[in-house]
Order: sequence, then structure tokens, then C-alpha cells
Amino acid sequence: MIRRRGERSIDADTLFEHERSIVEMSSSLRARMLGRAEGALRTREYVVPKARAFPRPAPFPWTAAAGLVCLAIGAGGAAAYELVVRAHQPLLPVAPAAETSPTPETPAEEGAASPPIARPSTPARRRLLPSPARGEAGREELRLLEPARAAVERGDFALAMFPIAEHARRFKLGRLAEEREALRVRALVGLGRYGEARRAAAAFALHFPRSPLLPAVSEMSASGG
Amino acid sequence: MPHLRLIPPLRPGVSSDDACLEAFRRELSYIHRTFLRLGTPAAEAEDLVQELFLVLRRNWDEYDPQRPLRPYLFGIAFRIASGNRRKRAREIPSEVFTVTDPRPGPEELFESNEARDLLLEALDQVPLPRRAVLVMHELDYVPVAQVAAALSIPIFTVYSRLRKGRRELDKALRRLLRRVEAP
Repeated sequence: MIRRRGERSIDADTLFEHERSIVEMSSSLRARMLGRAEGALRTREYVVPKARAFPRPAPFPWTAAAGLVCLAIGAGGAAAYELVVRAHQPLLPVAPAAETSPTPETPAEEGAASPPIARPSTPARRRLLPSPARGEAGREELRLLEPARAAVERGDFALAMFPIAEHARRFKLGRLAEEREALRVRALVGLGRYGEARRAAAAFALHFPRSPLLPAVSEMSASGG
Repeated sequence: MPHLRLIPPLRPGVSSDDACLEAFRRELSYIHRTFLRLGTPAAEAEDLVQELFLVLRRNWDEYDPQRPLRPYLFGIAFRIASGNRRKRAREIPSEVFTVTDPRPGPEELFESNEARDLLLEALDQVPLPRRAVLVMHELDYVPVAQVAAALSIPIFTVYSRLRKGRRELDKALRRLLRRVEAP
């Protein structure tokens, strides 16, 4: 198609010059395009936005699915972690120590004034966690936290901090993490460590924004300030 | 009273359909040529022209007749051409089936001449974003500010694309001419 052009140098400007004028297209092509355009006007083919009026099929809830996958992975990881921890349990001296602490001598009804922090409830959403050793891990968590709850009820806040720290170390994201953090706020307020209590309460609100304990926790940290 | 502008100007006797079709008829050759200049294969240009008409009609009521029509059309053509290019890249992954012949089809042969063909072939070596700016500014004489507006890019981007596109075009041209003169 491109043939020799003699010695004359050809630059882009020369070519632009040639191309600037618009050549008329062939009449057959022109007629065909105009025909299609007129047809589109007749059939109102251009009216696309109407299509949006139809109900669209609900999009697959990818976000929810991704969330569930993350949850499952997290739960699996937590279960694996717990298994490892249990395998090393004889090496951990603290858990038995926590067990022997004040549990026996504290009846649960004693401190009726304290807010419903440590009620070891298991809300429905917890059942989502497919933990194979759910019952056992739950009992272990409860065994750790019950002394803390009792100590808080007695007003023995300094003592409560030990099982709380231990539970945080072993079941950082455990099923009673919510209760543990609420207990922590209560204990910190009781100890007069208000700054820490406020920070802990803020973290609680961040991590468990829909927790039924949240109002109580906020109130505690506010009263402490 | 700025709110009055929200009401489209009504011209008695001329419907939107007629006005749009009339503008399309007037600029049909320009539209078609623009697609070829943007590197659309001639075989696909007809469909894209039709697509442009649909877009034009859909937006006709918002179009301000005071604005120059060609840059407006060019903006639509550029978006359609880039979309088409992306679609082709998706649909035809194999080089074997790729139709990359930018030359005019049989129906346009009679209107072709060597300089035009050579320019289109050289332009083919320039990536579409820069190619569009070159075509609009150098061929359509659209001022830089209007190019920026029509393509929704900053003015400085227009300048840099012009500069770089021009360099690429010159290089492609030299290569083509060398190839022609070699045998």
C-alpha cells in the first residue's frame, strides 16, 4: 500500500494537512448508516435507562460470603491455637493457680449491685463458630473467668486482674472475650485507673459495637472519670 | 434566573428526534472518519457509528446547541472506541484471530489516498489516549482547553500527551518510510 515516494521527505505535518479535510463516505455506506439510525429512532432503541426499572436479580452477597469465610478461618485458627495451648498445658502454671483462687468461698448471688458483666451468656451468634472443642474450650474459659467475676463482685479488683490477664493471654479472641473486657473495665474503674479504663472501654466499643454489655461498660468508664 | 436553564429549550416544530438525526446526518462522514482515525477497523466502524448515534440521541436533550458539536461527538467516539478496543482485547486473546487491518474496506477504497493511509498507519503505532489527543488537536484544530474538556482530562495532560504522541508518531512514520524504501 505504501509505495516509494521519491526523495521528498514526508513529515507528520504534511500528512496532517492531507487528512484534515473530511472526505465524504460512499453513498451506499451512508445510506445504510442513516437507515439504521432512523430505525433506532422508530423502535426507540436508544432508550436504555428504562431497563433499570426492571428488578435486577439480587447480587450474590459477596461481602457476607467473604465475612463468613474470614470468620471460619479465624475460628479454625483459634481452634488450632487452643489445641496447641492444651498440648502444652502442663507447662502453664497459672491456670491451676487461678482455679484454686476465691471460687469456692464466693456464692454468685453475693454482689447483686454489680452490673451484669460476667453473666456467661452464649448469644446466638457464637453458635456460628464451628469449633470442634467448643464445649471444652468454653468450660476452660469459664473456669478462668469465673474467679475474676467473683473478685469484681467482692470488690477485690486487684485480684480480678490476674485471671483477666491470663484469659486474655490464652483466649485472646475467645468466646468470653467480650465478658472479659467488660470485667477489665469494671476492675480498672474499681482500682481508680480511670485513664486505662476509658481506653479499655473505647476498645470494647470498637470491638463489640453491638454488645449488650456496651451500655454498662460505657456507664462504668464514664462514672469513673 | 439560573433555574430556568434546567428546562430544555423548546423549539416549536422540531422534535428532538429530528434535530438529533439532522445533526447526525450532517456529521456522519466526520463521525465515521473519526473512528477510523482512532484506529477502529473499518469492518467495525459501522457498528460503532450506530452506537454513537444511540448515545447521542440518549443525551441529546442535555446537549447545549451553543457548544461546538464536533468536539462533543469526538468525546463520545473516543469513549466508544476505547471501550471497543478493551472488549476486543478481552474477546480475542489469540494473535491468530486478531483483525488489525486499519485500512479502509472495499467501500472506502475509492476515497483513500496514500497520504491518508500512511498517516492512519503511523497513528496506529500511537496508543489510543495520545492518539485521540493528536487527532483532535492536529486534525480537528480543537483548542487544547476544549480537548481537555471533551476527553475529561487536565490541560497539562493534553500538552504532555500531545508532545509524547507527536514523538511517537514521528518515530512510527520514519520506521514506515524506511520499510517502504528498503526493498
